[in-house]
Amino acid sequence: MLQYLLICKSLTYAQRASRMLERRGITATVTKAPNLTGVNGCGYCIKLSEKNLTKAIKALNESKLGPTKIFVLQGNGTANEVFL
Amino acid sequence: MIYLDSAATSLQKPQSVKWAVSKAINTMASPGRGSHHPAMLAADCVYDCRERLAEYFNVSNSENVIFTFNATHALNIAIKSIVKEGDNVAITGYEHNAVVRPLNYIGANVYIASSPLFRPEAIIESFREILPYCSCAICTHVSNVFGYILPIYEISKLCEQFGVPLIIDASQSAGIIPFDFDALNVAFAAMPGHKGLLGPQGTGVLLCNHETTPLICGGTGGDSMLEFMPEYLPDRLEAGTHNVTGVAGLNEGLKFIMSKPKTTILNHESWLSSNFIAGASTIPQLKLFTSDNTECQSGVVSVICEKMSCEELSYRLGRAGICTRAGLHCAPLAHKTAGTIDTGTVRFSFSPFNNITEVDMAIRILKKIIDEA
Repeated sequence: MLQYLLICKSLTYAQRASRMLERRGITATVTKAPNLTGVNGCGYCIKLSEKNLTKAIKALNESKLGPTKIFVLQGNGTANEVFL
Repeated sequence: MIYLDSAATSLQKPQSVKWAVSKAINTMASPGRGSHHPAMLAADCVYDCRERLAEYFNVSNSENVIFTFNATHALNIAIKSIVKEGDNVAITGYEHNAVVRPLNYIGANVYIASSPLFRPEAIIESFREILPYCSCAICTHVSNVFGYILPIYEISKLCEQFGVPLIIDASQSAGIIPFDFDALNVAFAAMPGHKGLLGPQGTGVLLCNHETTPLICGGTGGDSMLEFMPEYLPDRLEAGTHNVTGVAGLNEGLKFIMSKPKTTILNHESWLSSNFIAGASTIPQLKLFTSDNTECQSGVVSVICEKMSCEELSYRLGRAGICTRAGLHCAPLAHKTAGTIDTGTVRFSFSPFNNITEVDMAIRILKKIIDEA
């Protein structure tokens, strides 16, 4: 199953988002975002499984914690931006 | 030893605070740097404390809760976010040097809302007169010298009426006198973590409801490509490494406070100070600065003694195991207002960990010292 990275504005936002998702039964791990284009470097993101993506995005948007960007993590460790 | 100098810093703290500091120093790295376990432990600790502070003070967004290194640091951020050279600023006659010195450094024009001790209606009227000419107001919630509880809700309503942003110095009230930050609708509230909040030294908190100017610029752990401080909180005001061990302790101090009904600590400290006042009032050579209205005074009481200087009295009390503070308490303005600038005062300040036996002992020792002088 694919893993998605939801880029957050800051570490604090990532933590808030993660806690909110965990309360809704979605496993969401806070981790450093890969150094990707369009991100200012040293960002934080939430990593979650493909099966939870839609539910997570909906919950985050409702809580005004929507991600700034979304990336899908490839098997080789690289990440590609996705647009939903 | 009987510690009656909690207005300076809390010496006695819940055991959980000490354990948390010890645990943090052994297990936590720096938040917002690595993503390894010790870094994430630190990040979770800082986040937990931030959320808990937001809950305790009713701050709707925990990102608006900023960690500083003490109240002075927090006040400097707040003041320098609002005040520019030449601005007119209204303050009370009881402000600490942590307010007065930054204002003078900036070159603000300071207007004092003058009023006698323990007369809240007078200070409200005084603010009403000067606020129309001011672009900022600063008010201490409780005087660190006299324990005078100022009417911050009424003052904040006045400031709102005149469109003047208000900064509250909650150094002597945080953790003791509950206040609702969202309901107050002020620009900032600044406080130390190491007094009423029972955390370690090296901690402070700034609650924000206004645009902010960073006091310190540097790394925040995120958005590293940005060559300027980020616009968003809390990162904008938290450059450099956090005092994670301090925040861990502060978190436990706050848990301790929140485990009790809201006014428990204030009631306890007021009860102790009332008993102290009752006992000290029987010593004819002592002048006490107290309010007839107990709602105007916290667990901080200042005295002067005819027989000796306040420094000598405090020294002798210290030799007898009673810890107090003498002098001007970094608040010469408060002393000018109350008429004690030439003598200073001896300040007794109580904490949740003092008890009535200690108050009785302090009174007995005070009487003995004065009788033998």
